[in-house]
Amino acid sequence: MNIQDFPQLSSIERIAQGFEALGYICSPKIATAVYLAFQLRKPILVEGPPGVGKTELAKTSAELLGVPLIRLQCYEGLDEAKALYEWKYGKQLLYTQVLKEKLGDLLHGAKDLAESVERLHQFGDIFYSEDFLEPRPLLKAMQQERGAVLLIDEVDKSDYEFESLLLEILSDYQVSIPEIGTVRADVSPMVFLTSNNSRDISDALKRRCLHLYIPFPSVELEERIVLSRVPDINETLRHQLVEFVHALRDLDLKKAPAISETLDWARSLLLLHADHLEEDLVRGTLNVLLKFEDDIRNAESDLTSLLPARAAS
Amino acid sequence: MQSGLTGFIRLLRSHDVRVSPAETLDAMSAASALGYADRERLRNGLALTLAKTPHEEAVLLRCFDQYFSGQLPDFSAAGETTMDSEATEPPLSAEPPAGKDNTRDMLEAAATEVPALDRALQSDLMRQLLDNDRAQLSLALGQAAAEAGLGNIRLFTQKGQYTRRMLDALGEEVLRDAVVALEQADNPLLELVRGYRDTLREQVREYVAREYLIQAEGHNRQFKDEILAGTRLNNLEHRYLHEVHELVRKMARKLAARHSRKPRTQKRGRLDMGRTLRRGIPHDGVMFHTYWRRQRRDKAQVLAICDVSGSVASYARFLLMFLYSLQDVLPRVRSFAFSSHLGEVSDLFREHPVEKAVELVNWRYGGATDYGSSLLDFAALALDDINSSTTVIILGDARNNGGDPKLEIMQSIYQRSRRVIWLNPESRRAWGTGDSEMLRYQSACHFTAECNTLKQLERIVDQLLKQTA
Repeated sequence: MNIQDFPQLSSIERIAQGFEALGYICSPKIATAVYLAFQLRKPILVEGPPGVGKTELAKTSAELLGVPLIRLQCYEGLDEAKALYEWKYGKQLLYTQVLKEKLGDLLHGAKDLAESVERLHQFGDIFYSEDFLEPRPLLKAMQQERGAVLLIDEVDKSDYEFESLLLEILSDYQVSIPEIGTVRADVSPMVFLTSNNSRDISDALKRRCLHLYIPFPSVELEERIVLSRVPDINETLRHQLVEFVHALRDLDLKKAPAISETLDWARSLLLLHADHLEEDLVRGTLNVLLKFEDDIRNAESDLTSLLPARAAS
Repeated sequence: MQSGLTGFIRLLRSHDVRVSPAETLDAMSAASALGYADRERLRNGLALTLAKTPHEEAVLLRCFDQYFSGQLPDFSAAGETTMDSEATEPPLSAEPPAGKDNTRDMLEAAATEVPALDRALQSDLMRQLLDNDRAQLSLALGQAAAEAGLGNIRLFTQKGQYTRRMLDALGEEVLRDAVVALEQADNPLLELVRGYRDTLREQVREYVAREYLIQAEGHNRQFKDEILAGTRLNNLEHRYLHEVHELVRKMARKLAARHSRKPRTQKRGRLDMGRTLRRGIPHDGVMFHTYWRRQRRDKAQVLAICDVSGSVASYARFLLMFLYSLQDVLPRVRSFAFSSHLGEVSDLFREHPVEKAVELVNWRYGGATDYGSSLLDFAALALDDINSSTTVIILGDARNNGGDPKLEIMQSIYQRSRRVIWLNPESRRAWGTGDSEMLRYQSACHFTAECNTLKQLERIVDQLLKQTA
């Protein structure tokens, strides 16, 4: 990717504005990360609690650049046949059967074995060429002519072996296929890796990436996010609900509500035609915010102390 | 600016943030892409390229503020305070002195009488002080620091020495001489000049103190870590408990990272048609080689048993702490504690923070040792779960107060499990002496070792993991 091709990424301010126009409100740090990733041609490893917009960041970047988003969801047991490439073995087999007769014609008139082999050599490795190659997400991202955004989601769920596989791709944007050789990306894709920290990622992988940690946003930032995503909600309610969510995050919960939950809640409150927070309303919709029975019970017992103060403000 | 950046990276390294040369290069290219003008932006950029965990990021941000604090020294106060004090005294001339020019005039007037003061006034240092030229002064401070080799400061006691060296490098002696001369001449300007001298000293002292914090704090921590690791577990004082805990966690995490589960291909289950067919192509589609889809994972299970009786009480706290950390980082660890009887403590560890958990275990299971009945309890609780992928770790001194050692249970554990490891806090020479049953138990262990310092513990676990790999 060259800077001329993507004027959207020429400065940090433009990135932030571009994201905002697409409905993704980001902190200066995130914009800096995208800018640096682009300038230094380095992947970004995005970490943070679930639901703070890690995957969304990659999607929005693809939208901003106007290039396809290629997504690879990682899981235990993911291997190169699913991530990188696979041979179209059915086609290979079929062709060998069909071409068997052709082979006879070709070799017709050859004087001896040596000459037959000589003739065959002229055809090269037909069956191991790009025609028989089934590209999987990683290879596909390398082959895009205009570049691509490659999202390697939840890389911490994959195995260590898979991580090593990524190393070559992430540092040189190339893939080695034993039968063909090295496939290099003409336009190196922009790579996002996300991780929920379910295990430590190897240092080798970490040091090839920019490390971006996205925490829960500040009240002000979150209000802007709600405003951009759920624009119909009135201002008092918006302020109240964001304050309430922030108060919830301070409680000792199994899973604190993230931005995505805040947005879901805002949408459901909008559906219910609420214009300010009431205790009954909150009690009834708490399950949108909290995903564990224990957490809901916990929050319900504290509800009165969390709410009146908010209502007064 | 590049030297500033490398200095910053050195500071990070001393604070346990690992920065490789390649990352240094990344940071430099990031810095040049972002420019040095916007401080906040540079800070973000460095955090992105250099930090690899949220913890490291927090350290980095703190170090950044410390290192690039960029506060310029302020000397205007020196003149003013002394001016104030002077104003209360009977004024020297008819008009009360006001402003910088006045001070200078007064000084110059006095300089004709005191040659030492004249020399001081001629020097760059004094001129900068009088003009309160902060940029020049901070530059001079930086140069003096480089001359004095302040970057090498390591110990708290070196502060005075480096302060003196820096003052010398700044050329403070002219000021000193002037003060002495004024004192002898009993000149009323003494207070004023002394004020400048003292402020300068104060600034230098602060500079050294800040540099000490930056340079030496990290080194000292490393130093302390090494000492802690080499200290016998029972000699550690209570106040180090917290730090030891951190150390153990760090170690356990390192071990857990290496202790990855290894997949193994297996010769049964579903056929991997793709690979099998592909391998068959050279043989005209005849499938000579078969490949199987399923891979078996080695799920190592660890059962850890810890003696918490009186004889090993002081070790037990730390062994339990290690156990706790291990359970925190390794997925399948079950922990047991015993003295006269044995019980599972995995849940306790899971539910409580470490200090409380260790306390509870000590309180619930502490007492006189009985290995025999404890082994019986263990067999009842967990013997059925022991299979060829189980590792049993026993932490204890094997002092059985003369009771029945129940060796046969140990032997059945030995036969069923992948490995039995016994870590004994007593030195090898003491094994088998008195009521120690260690030599007999040893026959039913795959691996026994003496373990009473963190360093030994680390080495042992390292060794064990290497064998599995």
